[in-house]
Amino acid sequence: MNLYAFKRNIFDSIMFAFLASVAAVVIFQPDEYAMLELGRNFQFFVAALIIGVILTTLLNRAGFKTLGEQIFEPPYKKAQAKDESWWRTLHGWQLVIFLVVTLIVGFNVTGFSIYKLVDKDSFGPAMKLFAGIFDPNWDLLPRAVLKMIETIFLAFLATFLAIPIAFVLCFFAAKNIMRHPLAFIVYLCLRTVLNLARSIEAFVWAIIFSVWVGIGPFAGMLALFIHSIVSLAKQYSEIVETVNDGPIEGIESTGAGKVQTIWFAIVPQVLLPFISFTVYRWDINIRMATIVGFVGGGGIGSLLQTYQGQAMWPEVGTIIFVIAFVVWFMDTTSAYLREALK
Amino acid sequence: MSQPILQLKNLIKTYPNGTQALKGVSFDVKKGEFLVIIGLSGSGKSTLLRCINRLHDPTSGQILFNGEDIAQAHGKEVLSIRTRIAMIFQHFNLIPRHTVISNVLMGRLGNMGTLGSIFGFFSKTDKDNALKYLNLVGIGEKAKMRADNLSGGQQQRVAIARALTQNPEILLADEPVASLDPATCHTVMDYLQKVNRELGITIIANLHFLSLVRQYATRVIALKGGEIVYEGDPKNIDDAWFEKIYGAGAKEVHIN
Ligand SMILES: Nc1ncnc2c1ncn2[C@@H]1O[C@H](COP(=O)(O)OP(=O)(O)O)[C@@H](O)[C@H]1O
Ligand SMILES: [Mg+2]
Repeated sequence: MNLYAFKRNIFDSIMFAFLASVAAVVIFQPDEYAMLELGRNFQFFVAALIIGVILTTLLNRAGFKTLGEQIFEPPYKKAQAKDESWWRTLHGWQLVIFLVVTLIVGFNVTGFSIYKLVDKDSFGPAMKLFAGIFDPNWDLLPRAVLKMIETIFLAFLATFLAIPIAFVLCFFAAKNIMRHPLAFIVYLCLRTVLNLARSIEAFVWAIIFSVWVGIGPFAGMLALFIHSIVSLAKQYSEIVETVNDGPIEGIESTGAGKVQTIWFAIVPQVLLPFISFTVYRWDINIRMATIVGFVGGGGIGSLLQTYQGQAMWPEVGTIIFVIAFVVWFMDTTSAYLREALK
Repeated sequence: MSQPILQLKNLIKTYPNGTQALKGVSFDVKKGEFLVIIGLSGSGKSTLLRCINRLHDPTSGQILFNGEDIAQAHGKEVLSIRTRIAMIFQHFNLIPRHTVISNVLMGRLGNMGTLGSIFGFFSKTDKDNALKYLNLVGIGEKAKMRADNLSGGQQQRVAIARALTQNPEILLADEPVASLDPATCHTVMDYLQKVNRELGITIIANLHFLSLVRQYATRVIALKGGEIVYEGDPKNIDDAWFEKIYGAGAKEVHIN
């Protein structure tokens, strides 16, 4: 079996198993206890996957194109395909059924209800919240500003400390530099570690560090620091991968070593985009610092969490105002800065 | 007769994807020659030059540089070989954002410590030499300009100056005038000839136009499909040879 057929089978069978699972829930109406039996339900899903693979193989062999085939088929096959209106094709209906079922399931799972949005009983408390937020308690302003400053520095330090580490790492994570077989292994390992670390959100790091070093801005800084290293290293390395090969060859031809080649041929090409991405990262970090603060990372997020927990809406209003102002300000300045750096 | 500066013996280069770019190339180069390599696109000219200064690793065969086989050299040896066999390229390969003089100084990188070069500690002699070679190729007054503000011909002259600061024994030139207009083309070729005659540096150049070959080459080698199909005096390339190198029906284009 070739690679494209493998991808197609996976794609179609996951779709089929999903539809089969939904059908099973609708038909058998299982209670919560039955839904929690992960092992058995997983077996059902796998069985559906296998049936799905058989089904997609048979259908495509019989000349009915499935959605997976339509997406993954190689260009030479696509060129042979005849032009059909979508409602006369299997893959057209497959897509429609999938979208409709997904929408219905989505409404069900989230408990979507227009009624709840406009109902008086639930709308009343919300009105109180709005009234509070739009009538901020300005007595809290000095404290909020102080905490905001803490947040800005927290974000700044996290970004600043991450720069040199990300700068060194990015070259090891750039394919065009790590061509040598041994180097390529290092590249693959580093990429894997970076991708794994990136899948851990900053607020999860904040939870970890708030236990490790205690609740406060230091924990928040460490969380954003780790997150910034990973994100910057990835973004930097992508820039390095787009550099022009000519200067590299030119410098290599003079007998320059690896580090010299990187410094003289690559760094001048990537410096401006690096700075631009770093400013943007600082901007993002200020926003994330509020969320990180919510879970024990100090700064204005912690303050927000305190007042939100006690439903003190006018105070929450003040904090939201300060955050919104700083985020807007940073967003605008960083956009100007990045534009100027082009 | 003295020993050739360069001897290639049955040089073979097969790329990782299986392309056989060189299928056993052998020839000698004497010191002070201006050797020109011609051939269709894809005949292996660039590959050949890149094997000689070890930007590429030859698959097998020998490259005797002053009698010493460098075909399988590795690590630091390769870097030292590159300092002694300089190269210029079709697209100049300068660092666009740096000044002309700083580009020329980069020819010294192979002879410097990594840290020293990164902090820009170039010696007085190096700086004087860089300026001297810039003057030699006639653009001393452009030293402080950014390299990407120069014209193509001027950039190629900067590249020649960079190569000269390496103090090379051989200068490889991969289609040095292919992206220049005809007038500039002759200027650059004249400077290469000057380097060859006045500094005694051996030159191996890939060229496209036979008229240029006849004017500048002391000897010519023609490649076809990774093999040598002609070797000798450029004046002896007649129509029959021309057809053999470039295929039946090809016509010579003149450039003045
Ligand atoms: N990096 C590479 N990987 C694989 N094949 C290559 C590579 N570079 C060149 N080739 C192939 O090797 C042959 C010779 O190329 P090249 O030396 O660039 O020829 P020329 O310089 O005479 O045009 C061509 O068939 C080309 O496609
Ligand atoms: Mg070429």
